[in-house]
Amino acid sequence: MDKKATALLKLIYLEMFGYDMSWASFHVLEVMSSSKYLQKRVGYLGAVQSFRPDTEVLIPVVRKKSIVCLYRLALVYPEALKLGWPKIQDRLMDDQEDSSVTTAAINVVCELGWRRPHDFLPLAPRFFELLVDSGNNWMAIKIIKLFATLTPLEPRLTRKLLRPLVTIIQTTSAMSLLYECINGIIQGGILDGEDNLQERDDVATLCVGKLRGMIVIDSDPNLKYVALLALNRIVTTHPTLVSMQQDVIMDCLDDPDISIRLQALELAAGMVTSETLQVVVERLLNQLRLATLSSANGLELETVPSTHPDLEEPEGSRSPEPSAHTAVALPNDYRSEVVHRILDICSQNNYSEVVDFEWYVSILVQLIRLLPPTEVDEYWNQTPGQDAAANFKSSTAFRIGSEIRNIAVRVRGVRLEATRAAESLLLIDNRSNFFPAGSNVGSDVLGPISWVAGEYANDLSSPSRTLQSLIDLSNVTLPPRTLQLFLQAIPKVFVRVNRDLGPGDSWKTETSLLLARVVEFLEALAAHPDLDVQERAIEFLEVLRLSAEALRFDAQEMPSLLASVLPSLFTGLELNPVAFSAQKKVVLPPTLQLDVAFNDDLQSLFHTLDGSQFETNQRGSLQDFYFVPDLALSPTKALPAIASIEMHPDSSYQNVLPGATESPGATERRKLERRERYKDDPFYIAPLSGTSTPPFANDSNAGTLDIDSIPIVDLKLDSSQPDRLERDPSNIRRSRHKKMEVAADETFGTEEIPSRDYLVGPAGGPTGTKRSLLQVDSSGLGHLSMASKDGPEAILAEDDGDAEMKKAMRNVEQMRLRMQRASERIELDGIPTEGTLIKKKKGKKKVTPSSTQEAIIDEGSLQPAELKKKKKRKEKKEK
Amino acid sequence: MINAVLVFNNNGQPRLTKFYTTLDTQTQQSLIAQIYHLVAQRPSSACNFLPLPPLLSQGAASSTGPSDAPTQITYRTYATLSFIMISTSTESPLALIDLIQVFVEALDRMFENVCELDLIFGYETMHAVLSEMIVGGVVVETNIEKIVAGVRSQEGTTGKKKAVQAASASLGRGALPGLGAWR
Repeated sequence: MDKKATALLKLIYLEMFGYDMSWASFHVLEVMSSSKYLQKRVGYLGAVQSFRPDTEVLIPVVRKKSIVCLYRLALVYPEALKLGWPKIQDRLMDDQEDSSVTTAAINVVCELGWRRPHDFLPLAPRFFELLVDSGNNWMAIKIIKLFATLTPLEPRLTRKLLRPLVTIIQTTSAMSLLYECINGIIQGGILDGEDNLQERDDVATLCVGKLRGMIVIDSDPNLKYVALLALNRIVTTHPTLVSMQQDVIMDCLDDPDISIRLQALELAAGMVTSETLQVVVERLLNQLRLATLSSANGLELETVPSTHPDLEEPEGSRSPEPSAHTAVALPNDYRSEVVHRILDICSQNNYSEVVDFEWYVSILVQLIRLLPPTEVDEYWNQTPGQDAAANFKSSTAFRIGSEIRNIAVRVRGVRLEATRAAESLLLIDNRSNFFPAGSNVGSDVLGPISWVAGEYANDLSSPSRTLQSLIDLSNVTLPPRTLQLFLQAIPKVFVRVNRDLGPGDSWKTETSLLLARVVEFLEALAAHPDLDVQERAIEFLEVLRLSAEALRFDAQEMPSLLASVLPSLFTGLELNPVAFSAQKKVVLPPTLQLDVAFNDDLQSLFHTLDGSQFETNQRGSLQDFYFVPDLALSPTKALPAIASIEMHPDSSYQNVLPGATESPGATERRKLERRERYKDDPFYIAPLSGTSTPPFANDSNAGTLDIDSIPIVDLKLDSSQPDRLERDPSNIRRSRHKKMEVAADETFGTEEIPSRDYLVGPAGGPTGTKRSLLQVDSSGLGHLSMASKDGPEAILAEDDGDAEMKKAMRNVEQMRLRMQRASERIELDGIPTEGTLIKKKKGKKKVTPSSTQEAIIDEGSLQPAELKKKKKRKEKKEK
Repeated sequence: MINAVLVFNNNGQPRLTKFYTTLDTQTQQSLIAQIYHLVAQRPSSACNFLPLPPLLSQGAASSTGPSDAPTQITYRTYATLSFIMISTSTESPLALIDLIQVFVEALDRMFENVCELDLIFGYETMHAVLSEMIVGGVVVETNIEKIVAGVRSQEGTTGKKKAVQAASASLGRGALPGLGAWR
């Protein structure tokens, strides 16, 4: 090596005299990579002297790898791409080039392609040529993938591509190529254009036919899987074509392979129509039933001794996982996935596909029985805190409960059935029947269900038994979220029970007995660790205590607090579903000033507080007042409150007195008054002139209450999905036996599509922004413009002064650090500022390279031209 | 692009791990464990695609378009070894299956009837083969001849020697059956 270095030195000397030394460029590389400093220096010198931008120093094997290296480099340092791009282009265009180099280049371009498709459009003809002529399947697959990203930008390409693709589909024997062709056609949007419908449908038919062939003819599970994958993509544009293959897809639902099943499941959800809905759902239910049977046999021994887990877990979102991994026929996550899908299928587009809601309610009840015992998987529990809420919402059990609630609210026709179903689930005697011990299924379902039972207490078949179940002392251990809803339901059901008792001899004793029991339950919760539960419990506790007092005082008849005030708390306006985003659209009243401080002299206020801190006596009494439950509330306090209500018969409580008879004029006037009053109230939606179209309000309760004043606005969600909308009305018209009106979400103004994630689960929420493991962030590439390709040459034309030099050096160092940090940060997030950051760097760097080349060896501050060399050196070391 | 290539045996012991992104060792191990758990559950008749393990599915976006997040896991089992490739949606799933096949065939050429023990002793060679095929997560070569030639030229005679040593050291070795059965 010493000799070589010396020879090279001589060669450099000769080069000075005008002899060409480009033939030795590879040796220069060799010497550069020497570990001896002296030799290395010679190598660098040689490189500086002899290398030109067009120097070709690579042998083919290295070439293909270096192209890839360039890509990786560009991920961290997008500027490198600008320099390397012409080279890659050359490799691509060169017909004489070694085929493996071309393949490597194509692979890189394919990776780059979806980030910046615009830059590759000019190369499309060459790709096309390669696709048609090459005969290399590997390369063809990549090219087709690339075209799939290009076609949306250039519609003309579609027409040109279609023929060769169809030819390949019809002729090729390689399944992978066939599949990628179909995939390319789908992803490239060739199927969703507007022009020449006939041809496109032909292509779609051809694709679906081929896919069917892949599923049916070949027993290869891989082909089945990818075919379903492709069908899943077609189904969005051509649902009818896919649903023609229903028989095959349904078979895949029963495939032994879980991956295939999941895909088929997704597909089933996409293609379902009102005719096929019941069949599909029943089939899935059967599957679950079988799975539960087989797993129940295996689990029986372990689950029996497990105690009630919620005692130790007040949060309730953790699942106990007592029976770890017994061999079950179907994994639990698959089973809960099936349940989710069933709910998805049925509830899509505001239940437009469901024709028989009674059937749906019964399905929901059955599903609760079939839920896997521990369906919150352990990985979610590892992330504490903020995920608990999302976790709770994503739980299948909670979803089923919410579905029952949704049905009860939206579909008046089956409200009775839904309430009865909720009631039957709620009854304490049935619970052990429905919910196996040791799982959190029960506690999740019970929350929404208790709300239904409370809100529609009029439909309950036996309110007193429901109330008994609600105030059963064993409920105290339920998770707080469930308890909150229980607490809301208890007074509602109580009112109902109370009304049923009616005028008789025994009403008084019975009422006071009931009251005592409810109070007892609420007292048990009055010191609950969860603040929400505590607050609600205490609120209702106080009201009911007042009632008890009033009952004791007034011997003869029902005190008005019980007879009218308490019921009036829960009657009045009907609750309607409100769109997710509606709340945001409520205009703030102009007088609301959020920026003005309540008290400008806050400092001194706190100061005085601090001063009084030592008056322990006062503090103690304050603490007593707030924290020690005051069991004997004085009746003297309560009486004025009641009196004041009765002194003002015009107060809003009286408006909705059930027994009150008034002239229609008065009703009308009050309606107007109320509208006026609620105009600025954010909790009420003001009626909008024009857009409000009440779809159902006039059918049942015309006149009794002022239901008509509730504004009901059509869900704008539908208008953004026109194709669905077209099908919907016909479906409803076709539904023979029972035409159900489904109340849509209320909103006003223009409606952007509300995200459904808040129901569906963790995918969309805070985790959406989380970066995936293993991910290589290429977002930096997207911001770089390749327009200026004369970068490095222009750089050298800069003048340099000493002071400027120092400043620049400092900047470079800073930039390098920042870059280092940025490359570490790609673990965390995308770097939108990458592009600008690099540009700045380039500007500052101008001065450094020519003079201090050897000194700076780290990558961040390398002169761009040198970067390539460095990479080559690496290659050489490998050899 | 391909995000990781893993090889482990039926007991979940890793034989080759190649991540094309930096990842701390602990996460690597838990990822391997999760994937092994998935693979071990599957019957031999099942298809070669795995659902995403919890570690990966957390960050995966649900959107259909291409993205940087890995979305596909392709695996293939030969005798005692499972080969896994984790990739983004820019790779074709069927092509990946073939790629694993090519990798195994290339190993088979290098070691002459490759078996698990060969891979333990010829660890370096295995990496060399892989780096001939995949560089930085991008496939550079799929031609078996060229791959083998590339590795041979790099290793000279040492690779061969190692392979032979490994062969003599392993008693009762059996080649990976089923290799010839694939097309």
